Amino acid sequence: MESLHARYPFFESAREAVDDAAVDLGELVARGDAPAVDRAVERVTAALTEGDVGAPRRRTRTELLSYPVARVLVSLVDEPAVTRTYAQAEAATAVERIRADVTENADLSYGSGGEVSLSGLLSEFGLDDAVEPVAGEDAYRVTVTAYLRLSSNLDGDAWRLNRRELADGEVPVERDELLVLLRQAIEDRVADGLPLSVPDAIADALTDAVGRVEEVLADIDVAVDIDRVVPELFPPCVHALLERARDGEELPAHSWFSLCSFCAAIGMDADDVLELLDVAEGEDPVLAQRVRYGLERVAGERGVEYPLPSCETMDAYGDCVNKDDLCADVQHPLSYYETRVESAGD
Amino acid sequence: MEERTVAYLRGAFKRHYEATEVSPPPAPNEREWGYIPWTAQAQTTMVRHRSWLDVGNLGRFLTEERPQHVYFSAAQYRDPSANSMGRKDWQGTDLVFDLDADHLPGVDPEETTYREMLATCKDALLDLLSVLEDDFGFEDCTVVFSGGRGYHVHVRDDGVHELGRGDRREIVEYVLAEGLDLDALLARELVDGIGLENPTEKRTLSTTGGWGKRVHDRLLALVDEVRAMDDDEDKRERLQAYDGIGEGSAEKLVEVFDANYDQIAAGNVEVHGRFLTLARQVAAETFDAESAPIDEPVTTDINRLIRLPGSLHGGTGLTVERIPREDVAAFEPLVDAISPVFGDESDDALAIEVTEPVTIELADDTFTLEAGAETVPEYVGVFAMARGHAEIAKQ
Repeated sequence: MESLHARYPFFESAREAVDDAAVDLGELVARGDAPAVDRAVERVTAALTEGDVGAPRRRTRTELLSYPVARVLVSLVDEPAVTRTYAQAEAATAVERIRADVTENADLSYGSGGEVSLSGLLSEFGLDDAVEPVAGEDAYRVTVTAYLRLSSNLDGDAWRLNRRELADGEVPVERDELLVLLRQAIEDRVADGLPLSVPDAIADALTDAVGRVEEVLADIDVAVDIDRVVPELFPPCVHALLERARDGEELPAHSWFSLCSFCAAIGMDADDVLELLDVAEGEDPVLAQRVRYGLERVAGERGVEYPLPSCETMDAYGDCVNKDDLCADVQHPLSYYETRVESAGD
Repeated sequence: MEERTVAYLRGAFKRHYEATEVSPPPAPNEREWGYIPWTAQAQTTMVRHRSWLDVGNLGRFLTEERPQHVYFSAAQYRDPSANSMGRKDWQGTDLVFDLDADHLPGVDPEETTYREMLATCKDALLDLLSVLEDDFGFEDCTVVFSGGRGYHVHVRDDGVHELGRGDRREIVEYVLAEGLDLDALLARELVDGIGLENPTEKRTLSTTGGWGKRVHDRLLALVDEVRAMDDDEDKRERLQAYDGIGEGSAEKLVEVFDANYDQIAAGNVEVHGRFLTLARQVAAETFDAESAPIDEPVTTDINRLIRLPGSLHGGTGLTVERIPREDVAAFEPLVDAISPVFGDESDDALAIEVTEPVTIELADDTFTLEAGAETVPEYVGVFAMARGHAEIAKQ
């Protein structure tokens, strides 16, 4: 088993590796405490609470096997919102890894880790004939039919075909935009076939694991009771994230998710967030798109909102910065804001 | 319609199908087939959910059944004759466009003759083909006169088959230039400000593709046209035709055209405040002139049935005529779509009973038919009867 497969478990070759290893999924899950099942639960719960699939395990085998098990878990929970949120989280994590693994070179060379190349990714999704690099630029041309398939679920006018520079059947996209399109391809791949029909024996063996996912689902708070937007009162961690985003930094998925869920929790919509970031929709369509996507993801369906991570989790991600006195008294960035808003009075 | 007229038209259609070879679309066995039989009642029922197996030999089917209208599905299915769309098991759909002369902007069907409507419709067809070929790069386009009031284009390039409704809706929006204005098309670029500390922003139109390029081409053509004029008065007049551009602005613009020509050619629209005023109006002109008013549901409905090229349109007796791409510009529907078997030019070819006075434009001529007995060339008679203005004369 290669570490590449653990990093990109939705690859066709990863699926084959699982097959080749002749792992009996039934046997694996029957040992309820197997690390792969644990990791699978984490994949799904992290998707629900953090918008990513959690930190990878060191063992390739555990990491790789946890992916098919996670798909089974999602199938057993059988909630469309959960399935979608999970697929989005796998895709978001994968894109972060792609950003790290694939070099900036437009010549599609192998990444610094020797793990994955952009051309390899494109061919993984049958897009090698559909995407072509533009010589001398960090840009690509995508055939119009592939562009339509991958962009039609994306929000934001900037993705609408009639605003693109369509010529001779090809749509020029920037590198960041290509990654958004790839994210869509990954999300489709992860969601493909879900929910699976799961044999009873496996379902029985996974009862506990499913219970753990459902517990997290039940714990997910409904919207917090603050709907005032007073940026001066935001906690320092959110301030810092906002600053970085304003400076044009592309925040890592977990940080971005934290920022979006904070904004969503206090009742902001995408336009409000864009205003807070000082960008107009048309000015930075990629960022605008990320905002919409981020907010959509944290909002979930059926009005359930996934709140942002606790102070502890923020700290674990290195996003807990510039602590002040109040920080010592709270466990959650939202409590910080709540306290500040209350003490600011009307 | 009297039974005897139905019998005559069925006979006429049989002669057409005997004399013509109608070629099926690709993968005919994966398509649903449908037709409307000839009946005397105005109310008609379509026979649907037929498979290629039911049709059997297309030539024999058409000659024997000689239906009033024949259709096939733009879609391909695993089981095309299943009675519900779910059970048919969809595999893909041709990308189909329909231009209908009844729905062209600025055409009042009451005021406009059939020939004029079709001419306007063909202009729209050429606009549509320009977008499909230049922007979308489609190469496998079958252009068809519908036999009635418009044109169809069937696109079968790789990759179009799998497109869903939402994807097709985006293609429709593109062809219609829906919801566009100049601002939607401008890209913002940061440029180093000269003598300024902060970089400034300039807004540009694409010079390489999309509606941005179309607007830019037209804008540049206007600039070139004005620059080529000898007389300053003419230049100003040309520009003052636009809203919000007075004599002073026009004069300024003429200077800007010369001084900033390279910038303008590169897509910059911020060379002068009034230049944006002008560009907004040229953008609107571009959308009007180069978009094609296609009928949206025909393109987005992936289960649509569409007329079989080579068949006859039962409401006119004209051929649903496949037009080779290079012949589109010269195509004359009211001449070229007359079935050769009805082509007898002699004025006494056919005796009919006109029930409703009507003027018919066909071939290169106009035929004014008064109520009562008339003798006419056969294609005129077929047209008048198919449209319900006449019956065949009693023997």
